[in-house]
Amino acid sequence: MVTKIENEKMEKALEAKAAVVDFSATWCGPCRMLAPVMEELSEELKGKVDFYNADTDENPQLAGKYNIYSIPAVLVFKDGQLVGSSVGFRPKADMKAFIESKLG
Amino acid sequence: MPQRYDIAIIGTGPAGISAAITAAVRGKTILLLGPAALSEKLSRAEKIENYPGLPAISGADFARALSAHLDSLGIRITDGRVGAVYAMGDWFGIQAGETTYEASAVILACGVAQGKPLPGEEEFLGRGVSYCATCDGRLYRGKTAAVLAYCAEAAKEAEFLATLCARVLYFPVGRAPIPRAENIEVIRELPRAIAGEGKANAVLTDAGAREADGIFVLRDAVLPERLVPGLATEGERVAVDLSMRTNLPGLFACGDAAGRPYQYVKAAGQGNTAALSAVEYLSKR
Ligand SMILES: Cc1cc2nc3c(=O)[nH]c(=O)nc-3n(C[C@H](O)[C@H](O)[C@H](O)COP(=O)(O)OP(=O)(O)OC[C@H]3O[C@@H](n4cnc5c(N)ncnc54)[C@H](O)[C@@H]3O)c2cc1C
Repeated sequence: MVTKIENEKMEKALEAKAAVVDFSATWCGPCRMLAPVMEELSEELKGKVDFYNADTDENPQLAGKYNIYSIPAVLVFKDGQLVGSSVGFRPKADMKAFIESKLG
Repeated sequence: MPQRYDIAIIGTGPAGISAAITAAVRGKTILLLGPAALSEKLSRAEKIENYPGLPAISGADFARALSAHLDSLGIRITDGRVGAVYAMGDWFGIQAGETTYEASAVILACGVAQGKPLPGEEEFLGRGVSYCATCDGRLYRGKTAAVLAYCAEAAKEAEFLATLCARVLYFPVGRAPIPRAENIEVIRELPRAIAGEGKANAVLTDAGAREADGIFVLRDAVLPERLVPGLATEGERVAVDLSMRTNLPGLFACGDAAGRPYQYVKAAGQGNTAALSAVEYLSKR
């Protein structure tokens, strides 16, 4: 399951041992294509990492804080620390390998 | 639910047309995407000396013969430019303009991309540099955007940006058309590089630095790995095996896109192979 971040509140993601935050927006084509990929990965990586989605229009301060200039942008956090980011669509196997490589 | 085609073929040069012919003869539903006027590399050849069976044919006549062949099989070309191909697992999403098509397999026959990236372009990609105004434009609402216009569609994209951004700096290169909007400033200087610090912030020309928050580089030919995120390439060519398979299952490449030699007959031959491989892929799923 991918949890929606609302009202700029992403404390939960930062408190988790490991979290992935997908910054995207409804008007962005590649974001829409990435959404089902993230949904599937959230099931495959269940228990290892929590998945979140932050709409950049609804959470502009977060987008600013994390320097999101291009979306979709997938940020990986470990114990609240940003450990990696990836911009743009990636096929599922690719995205999974990326996330796993950042979690070490 | 949109229709899901068996095979989407991107490109209307000899590679794509040959792939379309074979796929259609094999009874597959196909979507052939590209300019309806066919590849410019067909009409531009004065005389072709080495296409078997068609001695000394002009490029224009060759193009007519290919069009007639498509017509005879009832194959229609969907006129359009593909912006991206998304590998979704067991299907592909193919975005062209406002439409996203679906297909079970894809054949990339988009020719070879020419022109090197500008210094700074790759470095700042995703950090102030973008290839898609409709994708990233809204991130620059109320700010200054620069458009490096290398293609005909760039004018429309600049006009779209002008509805969001405070200012649009438009750099027409070559024969790029001029957009119209009050807040678009046309700058007739050749972009030399993209500069920045952590994030792109200026277009460098011989006249100096032109500051902008977002820089949109709009080219006719997109590098294959940008067209298809996750696609493996070797230099400017898509990495393929002898069956024209790429690293992405269900995606094939042929013709100039798959590497040298750049020749019509080789493109047509590889298009045929790619189509047969796609048919085999579909039968095994
Ligand atoms: C002047 C000239 C003379 C030549 N003479 C000869 C000759 O005598 N003999 C010979 O064998 N070869 C010759 N060539 C080389 C030959 O033109 C190419 O090898 C051949 O056209 C390659 O075919 P292709 O189908 O792979 O790619 P192309 O013909 O380049 O076709 C690519 C197609 O993909 C389309 N496309 C690209 N990107 C997209 C996108 N994003 N969305 C949708 N469509 C897209 C293009 O518009 C085009 O329709 C010549 C080339 C030139 C320029």
